Amino acid sequence: MNPSVSIFSIALIAFLCLHHRVHGSSHFEGFDAEDDDVFDDSTELHHSLRPPLVTQSESTTLDLEPPSESDYTPTSKSDPPSQTASKKPSSISFDFWDEDEFEGLPEDDKTTDSPVISENTSPADPQTPDPESASDALDSAIPKKKPSYTVEIVCVSILIAYAINYFTGKRENENLALTWASKFGLKDTIFEKNFSLLGVGEGEDSPLLLKEATNVFKFYASGRRYCHGLLATMELKSRHDLISRLFNSVVPCKDEISFEVYMNDDAMDHIVFAMARKKAAKTMLKELRDLQRFGGLVPVPFGRKWVSEELAVISESKEVAGDMITEVVLDQVFGDKSFEKFGKNFLSLHFSDQHPGKHRKMLLFKFALPDAKHMDDMVRLVALIPYYIDLVGRYRLSSQARNKTEGARQKAAHEAYKELENVRQEALLRKKAERKKILEEAEAKLSAEALRKKEAKERARQMKKSMPKVKMSRGH
Amino acid sequence: MSHSHGNASSANDPRQPSMAKPYTPRPVAPEDLPVDYSGFIAVILGVTGVMFRYKICSWLAIIFCAQSLANMRNLENDLKQISMAMMFAIMGLVTNYLGPNRPATKK
Repeated sequence: MNPSVSIFSIALIAFLCLHHRVHGSSHFEGFDAEDDDVFDDSTELHHSLRPPLVTQSESTTLDLEPPSESDYTPTSKSDPPSQTASKKPSSISFDFWDEDEFEGLPEDDKTTDSPVISENTSPADPQTPDPESASDALDSAIPKKKPSYTVEIVCVSILIAYAINYFTGKRENENLALTWASKFGLKDTIFEKNFSLLGVGEGEDSPLLLKEATNVFKFYASGRRYCHGLLATMELKSRHDLISRLFNSVVPCKDEISFEVYMNDDAMDHIVFAMARKKAAKTMLKELRDLQRFGGLVPVPFGRKWVSEELAVISESKEVAGDMITEVVLDQVFGDKSFEKFGKNFLSLHFSDQHPGKHRKMLLFKFALPDAKHMDDMVRLVALIPYYIDLVGRYRLSSQARNKTEGARQKAAHEAYKELENVRQEALLRKKAERKKILEEAEAKLSAEALRKKEAKERARQMKKSMPKVKMSRGH
Repeated sequence: MSHSHGNASSANDPRQPSMAKPYTPRPVAPEDLPVDYSGFIAVILGVTGVMFRYKICSWLAIIFCAQSLANMRNLENDLKQISMAMMFAIMGLVTNYLGPNRPATKK
């Protein structure tokens, strides 16, 4: 980890600079404060004899800092710098005082002897009320008060837990993804039977999965009729991330897998079709543009077996909806009975020839991933994919419906074109306005210049005019 | 799986090796990546920790740094922010624990 080392060193250097500066500045601050203190003390002394005691207690209890740093300055010449006076503020401050005026104080006998002795005694000095403030000055080796450690202990333990969780969660996610891949991507499995190329690399034994992030895995397959590729994206829970894990324990989320099947352009007719649970279907209808534009909720038809009551179907026309929901699908997954059993991992499916983006003709499937032990639960769901590829690839609309959809698409294309045109025109207008503005500004500048010149000329002429007159008047 | 091969025409192999195209990862624009909130929070906490000398802020900044590091997707892009946050956090801690106790904190 080279970068981290360099970062640390930079931080260290920065700290050293800061430290020196702060330390130096504190000298001067303290010095000034001390001067004031001494001055105050002496003035008080003039009033009476007793005050020394009062000032003593004041200086030690109310504010420890100013005396401490102030003491540092007078003694610094004699003492080596390692002997930091800030350790024992109160005692040394007595030391400083007694030289001036307070020789008679009976309590200070011990402390006034010498600075060295005073330093030894001062830790037990009863007059220092707050040991923490006195001790945490320069070296962290001095043990602090107990409560100040709680933050550190908590934070370090969180960090350790985070690190442990990172590795275990990462492995958990990888295991889940690998279980899925071995269930559906190895020999004699659904994808192997349907696609000639599996995996994200080239060649025979290319890796099946591509790890895009710690919790995102991709699986690619290609080489099948009607479509030129299938991309599965597994978005697993952020198990590696302790914070999101805690968050997810409050707001639960699921492992999801979404399949994008890129259909060949000639293999997909005008189909806009989606199915999801009722609530999700409503949001899909609101948020997805192609559904919003072409689709509508399809009511349950009479006299026909239909999907489970939990599901809602969105489609461009009843015809498409009826043809997409076949007997087989109802029997396998979406019928009332089978959906109860196999549908719990179903989230949504969405077929459209009007997807925004590069691939316009796409089939989207979204399922929830069961945990590694229950991977069999989604076999039927995954089997829907090749089934629907074939169904959609073979499907042709009746001419009547086709006319309708054709019209709708032309209209949409026209609108899109218009919108594009509008945007372009707006951009053009804006450009024009900008150019005009620039020209005007330049003109204004020019005209101002011209005006000034003109004025100057005028003035000169006036001057000329007036000059001879004056002269003349003088001449007379 | 039997249901997907209902009629005779689909019973034969659907695979077409000649049509196979290798995977080409879609280029993702950096602005399309999910926003790195934890890195952002870490920077803010780190700066607060240094400025006001709150050690809890610096510690939290380090925790969020770890989160950001764990969720990192784009190496070059995110490393800048993370390293900045990390620097602030460490600086805050160092000044907090090794720095002198300033009178300003008392008043």
